[in-house]
Amino acid sequence: MGFFDEPFDLTTAAEGRVEGIAKVTGGGKYAAEYKVNGLCHAVLVGSTVAAGTILNINTNNAKQVAGVLGIITHLQKPLVPGMANEEKIKEARFGLPIFHTDKIYFKGQPIALVIAETLEDATYAASLVTAEYKEDTKIVDFNGALASVSLTPAGKDRGDIAALNNAAQTIEAEYNIKAEVHNPMEMHATIAEWIADDKLKLFDKNQGVNNVQRTFAKLFNIPVDNIEVISEFVGGGFGSGLRVWPHALACIMAAKLVKRPVKLMLTRPQMFHSVGYRPASWQKIKLGANADGKFVGIHHQAKNGTSFYENFNEGITRVTRLIYHFDNLKAEAATVPLNLSTPTWMRGPGDCTGDFAIESAIDELSYKLNIDPIDLRMKNLALAKHPDSGLPWSTNYINECIEKGAQMINWKDRKATHSQNVNGDWSIGYGMAVGAWNAGRGTASAGIQMQKDGTLTVQTAMTDIGTGTGISMQNIAHESTGISKSKIKIELGNSNLPPAPSQGGSNGLSSIGGAVVAAVAALKLKLAAYAASQNEAYKNATAADILMSDNGISFKTANNQFISFTSLWEKNKLAILEVEASSGPGTERQKYAFCSSAAHFCKVRVNRKTGKVKIERLVTVSDGGKIISEKAAANQMSGAAVGGIGMALMEEQATDERLGTLVGNDFAGYHFPVNADAPIIEVAFINKPDPNINPQGSKGLGEVGIIGTAAAIANAIYNATGKRLRDLPITPDKVLLG
Amino acid sequence: MRPFLFSKSSAANQALAKKNSTTQYIAGGTNLVDLMKKHIAEPESLVDITSALPAKIEPTAKGIQIGAMVRNTPLANDPTILAKYPLVAKAVLAGASPQIRNMASTGGNLLQRTRCPYFYDVTTPCNKRKPGSGCSAIQGENRMSAIVGYSDQCIAVHPSDLCVALAALDASIKIQDKSGKMQSISFTDFHRLPGTTPERDNNLPANALIHSIEINENAFAKNYAYVKVRDRDSYAFALVSVAAAFNLNGDQIVEARLASGGVAHKPWRWLEAEQYLKGKTANAATFEAAANIAIKDLRPQTHNGFKIPMLKGAIETALQQCLNP
Repeated sequence: MGFFDEPFDLTTAAEGRVEGIAKVTGGGKYAAEYKVNGLCHAVLVGSTVAAGTILNINTNNAKQVAGVLGIITHLQKPLVPGMANEEKIKEARFGLPIFHTDKIYFKGQPIALVIAETLEDATYAASLVTAEYKEDTKIVDFNGALASVSLTPAGKDRGDIAALNNAAQTIEAEYNIKAEVHNPMEMHATIAEWIADDKLKLFDKNQGVNNVQRTFAKLFNIPVDNIEVISEFVGGGFGSGLRVWPHALACIMAAKLVKRPVKLMLTRPQMFHSVGYRPASWQKIKLGANADGKFVGIHHQAKNGTSFYENFNEGITRVTRLIYHFDNLKAEAATVPLNLSTPTWMRGPGDCTGDFAIESAIDELSYKLNIDPIDLRMKNLALAKHPDSGLPWSTNYINECIEKGAQMINWKDRKATHSQNVNGDWSIGYGMAVGAWNAGRGTASAGIQMQKDGTLTVQTAMTDIGTGTGISMQNIAHESTGISKSKIKIELGNSNLPPAPSQGGSNGLSSIGGAVVAAVAALKLKLAAYAASQNEAYKNATAADILMSDNGISFKTANNQFISFTSLWEKNKLAILEVEASSGPGTERQKYAFCSSAAHFCKVRVNRKTGKVKIERLVTVSDGGKIISEKAAANQMSGAAVGGIGMALMEEQATDERLGTLVGNDFAGYHFPVNADAPIIEVAFINKPDPNINPQGSKGLGEVGIIGTAAAIANAIYNATGKRLRDLPITPDKVLLG
Repeated sequence: MRPFLFSKSSAANQALAKKNSTTQYIAGGTNLVDLMKKHIAEPESLVDITSALPAKIEPTAKGIQIGAMVRNTPLANDPTILAKYPLVAKAVLAGASPQIRNMASTGGNLLQRTRCPYFYDVTTPCNKRKPGSGCSAIQGENRMSAIVGYSDQCIAVHPSDLCVALAALDASIKIQDKSGKMQSISFTDFHRLPGTTPERDNNLPANALIHSIEINENAFAKNYAYVKVRDRDSYAFALVSVAAAFNLNGDQIVEARLASGGVAHKPWRWLEAEQYLKGKTANAATFEAAANIAIKDLRPQTHNGFKIPMLKGAIETALQQCLNP
């Protein structure tokens, strides 16, 4: 609660990012950019078949290449104790047992690793490694394999969906979304160096250094503290860095083999099968409402692709239980194993997929009922409590998001009937959709180091993957200490710093904010203890009694009587003050439910002759509680909205069933939006603190920015053209033939 | 990539003297370097020809000459091109990305290889990459493939936008051989159809270099358009593209040009539709009739039937845009 006692005036916030200058001047070091003495390079060789068994691997030609230092295969490798046998591999839950199996599960699966003095030598030598396989039947076509798995219940039924038979209007439809690939700008990379036999140092691209540390401690059977993981700058993640992937292990094995530091950076084509992706999905929705628009119930069925060596369930139907109240609900799901690598969480995982189907169906229903899609949603929002758990929402302003967004886009300009707004070959339409996300919080730690001159260094192991964690920590530290921002330095993304959860699931700021507040409280108490030697009154001071500023510390009740930091340091012969504190969720989680939400509005132009869709306007209004750093938050939202444009209009990882291969797995073949495809995204926030979630009152925003965007776009295309397109991405061909 | 020797030539004859079966020329390298990284091209030596060939745009007695080493960006910004051959600039700017256009040369643009995904995936059969291995696209992902002029050996399309405009404008290509002799090939005869030799993209002799492109003065600087339908608005190859141009006498079309990218193994001229447009009134009905002529004998693949209505729409759109370029 201490935080709300502090003045919190963001109008004074110097915007930007603490790491901004380093980033734009090239001073910031990404994983692959560190200079390490004696560094050599490793390049992966992928399987050329999608299913089968390796019969033999020929490395003779590769070994002839000058500069080659070693080659790892499943036959010749340094020992990884955590993968010593089948049982241990299972127990490790690492995913692909890289170099510990002769089985091939997908095309591109690493079968060898070539280590050489230079990247060029390693790359060339890797191209000379060949293998023979016993090929098995392969399946990579999700839609073709769909029917082979049956649905099972996804959570408890509510009521009885037989009630849908009595609904005034129903929609029953299927929705298909192609696989999408994260493709952060920075390719995944690791530099591994064994400092001693049991001591490892890693520069690694990931979203959580402590997760990397724990994973390798287990695999190599060494203490967690013996592994240092540095991920100070992360060039985007979108979920691809939430797991520890096989290439990082391969790099560590290589360093062990050649007894030198090794760098392994994935190539862009390797990124498509090495670090997860959003799996292809199929959904069927049956949704019904009474004539007055009250929902009767929903039947939501979903399947998503997975690999043959792991089961990844996206949780597509989870969002069905979050936004609206349904008296009758049934959800079912299944996963479809394919000869592809394992998918993983990608921005708005599950919810983003499920929400597309639900929000498309609601839009379709609104036309059938002849009720404005906004009104239809408003009638059915679960605004008081979480519809599944029954807990009251701590805060839920999704209705305000809708109202504000409707105003911003001039929703009244929308025609209630489709195809009514025409300008030459172009048809204009408006669409909207909402999204929500269970707002979480994890336990995180932060530390503060304070110097005599009143400067602070605030530290955490948490990574900043571009989300603005650093600037937000600075803002929170500034607001709770009164110390000028220019005197607050942020250090993060290093496992030697106070531990924190991974940056993901919209939990980052929600988790670390409380830790910074707790560390500030600890700092104030420590300062008060030293001040007590000068002024007895400080002896029993609580953190809430203490005011800090660049002038020193004081009692709140007598705030002009500052004891300067200089005198405090000199009197007590201090060098540096250090505190560390943890903070996490508590009993409020039993009392309340928490969600972030957003409403997305879109105005499109659709060319009837060419099928081209142009997004004219995209408005996104979100409830992320108190906005800590508006620029960073808005940047999150517009980035997510552009991701939503990609999902809606162009992102698609094609596969070839006959050859068992990904098709077009590079930036020319896999399209995500460029600036020309996106208008300036119009972002607004409700900006009301959630008083229960964490001390700073902020709820995570990363996911809700994309949950609902694709449906808003598809709904706008329908409003423009009368074409209800239920398969993503909506490329020009689908518009034309739809 | 495979290690290679690198040298620079400052004159065409010097470069030609270095050429043998394991040598390749490099200019901007925006396609070749990709091909080398993927082991599709594995030259033992590379000869940099950026100083060996003209990099200027110059007037000639009959029109204009574009040096083979003129990069895409200056080509699109050249005042004479913009004033007299604006279709060329429009097509160039529809292609690639600014970074690539800053590097890519005019000659290289003509010689770029197809972007068929199977051509780039060395683990799959491809007759163009490995003659006789088969065509993966015919039974595979052929959304981007040809709808006209293809064979049972190859259904790849030529990726260039510039070439579509040059074909429409009846440009010619000046070729220089070892002896310094110049020869001219008409643009529409330069690129080939796949037939039984899909590995050959064009008719450039093995011992020759593209010296320059020539375009004659024409009457197409006023009513012209380049329409490119693609999956995203920059850095994407055409699903279909249309270069259109005509000159008018009042509202009567005197002469028309109509060519497409994304439909065939070479830039494709719609000659019958051009013929139809001659003497007709420039209006929507005429444009639709011309589009219908263009699409009448097309044979799409399993996944690109959409290209027919899309092409029809793109031709109508382009012809309409010619009225208000």
